[in-house]
Amino acid sequence: MKKKNSIMGMAFFGPALVLLTLFLFLPMVLTFVFSFTDYFALSPELTHFVGLENYLNIFKDDLFVTSFLNTVKFVVIIVPLQCIGALILALAIHHAAHCKKYFKVAFFIPVVMSLAVVSTLWMQIYSPEGILNTLLMKLGIDAQPFIYSAKQALPSIAIMSVWQGVGYQMIIFLGGLQNINPALYEAAEMDHASGWQKFKDITLPELKPLCVFVFITVTIGAFRMLVQPMVMTGGGPDHSTYTIVYDIYETGTVNWEMGLASTMAIVFTVFVVILTIIQNVLTKDKEGRKHVHKKAKTN
Amino acid sequence: MFTKKQKRINWVLVVFLLVLSIFFLFPVIWMLANSFKPDASITADMNSIRAFIPPALNGNFFENYIEILTNTSFLRYMANTLIYAAILIVLGIIVNGLAGYALAKIPFPFREQWLLIIMMLLIVPTETVITIHFLIIAKAGLLNTVLGYILPMIVNPFNIFLFRQVFVSLPDDVYEAAQLDFCGPVKYFFTMVLPMSKTVVATVSVFTFLNVWNDYLWPSLVFTSSDLLTAQIGLNSITSNDNTTMGQTLAVITLVTIPVIIIYSLFSKQIVEGVTSTGSKEG
Repeated sequence: MKKKNSIMGMAFFGPALVLLTLFLFLPMVLTFVFSFTDYFALSPELTHFVGLENYLNIFKDDLFVTSFLNTVKFVVIIVPLQCIGALILALAIHHAAHCKKYFKVAFFIPVVMSLAVVSTLWMQIYSPEGILNTLLMKLGIDAQPFIYSAKQALPSIAIMSVWQGVGYQMIIFLGGLQNINPALYEAAEMDHASGWQKFKDITLPELKPLCVFVFITVTIGAFRMLVQPMVMTGGGPDHSTYTIVYDIYETGTVNWEMGLASTMAIVFTVFVVILTIIQNVLTKDKEGRKHVHKKAKTN
Repeated sequence: MFTKKQKRINWVLVVFLLVLSIFFLFPVIWMLANSFKPDASITADMNSIRAFIPPALNGNFFENYIEILTNTSFLRYMANTLIYAAILIVLGIIVNGLAGYALAKIPFPFREQWLLIIMMLLIVPTETVITIHFLIIAKAGLLNTVLGYILPMIVNPFNIFLFRQVFVSLPDDVYEAAQLDFCGPVKYFFTMVLPMSKTVVATVSVFTFLNVWNDYLWPSLVFTSSDLLTAQIGLNSITSNDNTTMGQTLAVITLVTIPVIIIYSLFSKQIVEGVTSTGSKEG
């Protein structure tokens, strides 16, 4: 029976295991190994072990440092706007008296559109004689270059990304708001708590784990920024919208410098893994406390 | 139940959201309205409210759409993507579903360790391994082939995990009864387990479809021949062509979005549940 189970288990798990090995385990090991070499995919026979040289070099490489700083800028603009925007939208819709269904759909529509579609659309919106500049002119504001200037390209793409993504987190927050026990608010009402007090003392603490989750997922999402600059600006003007993933992609698949690209990928992955661990720790902590709380109650 | 003051606040919120939603959706409204216009009208209308109103219904109303559907390979790109999605849905359900079932119900050696590894794989972003995928597929001589595009996309740790979570709660006694019927384990999986788990099968199918439909980086790496392009990459090659007018560009991106809108409206319940449950599960 035991033998039968292990044969059957492997027969069921086997196909996935083969593919996992080929397309996840092997690539992960290769990325790690390549990151210590000067592997150039067009002449693999010339590969040397270079130790930590790549890791030191990428941080001396102006282009990588630029792409790293750009990525950080994307995160810094996108994360607060998208998280707080989603929370405000969710709160407003939750308390609105009518048309809830329409609002949910309206703010979710950009989420449905793909990154390539949204990027193509906003290239038209942001164009020098486009609709946005026309509207600005009506308001007495001069025409802006948007994605065509090194100064404005990054914020323009960041704001577009917030517009595209905010509806997703809004739905998550709405789900969280619906799950809050109404008895908490009823109790607060008996104590004549003000709206702000209810928000500060009930809504926010109840939503805290969800806020952590949204904060981290949005951060990771912004950290992975690639398609929007790829379609809209090609990383320009002047590499002002060039991101880490863009650099990994170009170094690896255009220049075939797998060693260097692997080093960048490892650095990128370390950041993502750290963020994920922070999220797990912060939310686990809450569960732990809940557990303690329950225990205290039963005692 | 509501006090007068609260009622007033709630109405203010409705008005606020209505105004906000109009501003929020102005790019989409502009896209739809102008996808029916020739470029001359788009420019001419730019300065007035007509920029957000579709033109009068006349013989040329669908001109841009007809142009895109007949004079470009757009339909081909759409068909390609639908075929890839169908293949990946079927293979994905079989491979990930079988693995999820093994992890849930078959006590094979190191099962718990495998489950832990699968959960750890969820953290690894695709960007980490995508250049190596490209290298492997290139070395295998599979660039520019459907096989090369599909192979790395079949297995998905998240879907394995999702299947496992659902299969764990299936009753064991049905399996024992099936054994008496001489129903082999594989047959049992396809005739009993999958039909009993329609919800998770639907969820995985919908998310696989959306993933294939919206994916940009991987197909842009694998495919260079225009015959095999997916809709997203094809859209880029159509709009970057100098002969494509602004109106046609807007028509293409509208067309690419239509299948996704259909999927969302058919499966909105599953999708919203999926979205909110990822939130509550992780949180």
